[in-house]
Amino acid sequence: MNIYIQAAAQISAQEPMGNAWFQRPLRFTERYVRSIDPNFKEYINPMEARRMGKILKRALATSLEVVRKTGIDHPDAIITGTGLGCIENTEKFLTAMVRDGEMYLQPTYFMQSTHNTISSQIALHLKCNKYNTTYAQRGISFESSLLDAYMQFELGKIKSALVAGHDEMTPDYFVLLDKINYWKKGEVNEAVLRKSDSLGSFAGEASSCFMLENKKTDLTICELKGVDLFFNPSPLRMKEAIEELLSKHNLHINDIDVVLTGINGDKDNDVVYHQFQQHFFPETPMAWYKHLFGESFTATGLATYIAATAIQKQILPVDYLYNRTSTLNGLKKILIYNHFQNKDHALILLSSC
Amino acid sequence: MEALILELKKEIIEVLNLEEIKPEDIDENAPLFGEGLGLDSIDALELIVLMEKNYGIKLNNASEGRDIFKSVRVMAEYIEKNRTK
Repeated sequence: MNIYIQAAAQISAQEPMGNAWFQRPLRFTERYVRSIDPNFKEYINPMEARRMGKILKRALATSLEVVRKTGIDHPDAIITGTGLGCIENTEKFLTAMVRDGEMYLQPTYFMQSTHNTISSQIALHLKCNKYNTTYAQRGISFESSLLDAYMQFELGKIKSALVAGHDEMTPDYFVLLDKINYWKKGEVNEAVLRKSDSLGSFAGEASSCFMLENKKTDLTICELKGVDLFFNPSPLRMKEAIEELLSKHNLHINDIDVVLTGINGDKDNDVVYHQFQQHFFPETPMAWYKHLFGESFTATGLATYIAATAIQKQILPVDYLYNRTSTLNGLKKILIYNHFQNKDHALILLSSC
Repeated sequence: MEALILELKKEIIEVLNLEEIKPEDIDENAPLFGEGLGLDSIDALELIVLMEKNYGIKLNNASEGRDIFKSVRVMAEYIEKNRTK
């Protein structure tokens, strides 16, 4: 069974809904960077959009973009990963509840404060009543969604799937995470993040959406070769998993052109990626992207977007390379490796086709 | 009454997030649901909360809303007669 990424869309700290930023990404020095939103009126009727928080507008806009590109308006599955869900509306609902002494609860904020509102909203808009699921697995929410789709493709249950990862970072949640050292305390820039000598990263937001299909077409961006998730794997288990993933496709370690990692400047986080490279891919170029997007629970969706774009364009600019000073060309295979708190680990293998 | 109608229009715009609409765009005699503003059942729930929170009017029977929410003017007249705050 072959699975192809037919279309992709993203809204992030980089320019939304396009790839112009890919070879000239914006850089940041703030601790908290919010996404650049497109003109939502181009995607959503204002009367429909009026009840939606930012995350729902972003989810619907990116979904409609991949639907527009592929013409697949009733995918066999709509699967969303989100670490925090509709946290903005959750905060509004809870704030009003406290302010009004648990009286006068507003139904709109309540309805749209749950994690699964996102997949539901997409389905309602598309009038698509097929498989509809949400994964709220903190730092591996996107990978869980992708794995669900991957397994259903393998079982022959679906022929198309809209898979997405969405997270917003509200000012209040930023402050809460700041108290537990999620974010660096001073100015943040690439040099500071590259040092990885202190705790914390910088905060970002991520919305990414992909249309997957089981057939190759003129639209195809790249092939999704594999997705694997592990909980607390030993180095031996991880080695076996990498070998299994590669051998399943008759690949060798040397066939991987680049490993795209979730290095984010946090010393406890980054050491795991350095060990991963030293143990398993000592000769392979290592890339990173969170210094250009910020940390987010579903940032791996953006990693998938970057890797797919790099394969399609056959280039990975030096801006993304962690240990190389020249652009990589002619990319055929990219392995995305992500871990969350060194407990949950995920591998995603993308290939040219 | 006209002051209450204007106040009500502002509150409806705020609570229903009618970002593109100004008070003068709302015809106080036009139907709120279906035609006119084209509100739906979720908006009706929001209006019930608005009546209780801002005017102390608690609708015990949901079907009452059908008559009360006919238009902004009808709403304002009902509020004028029944408000407790």
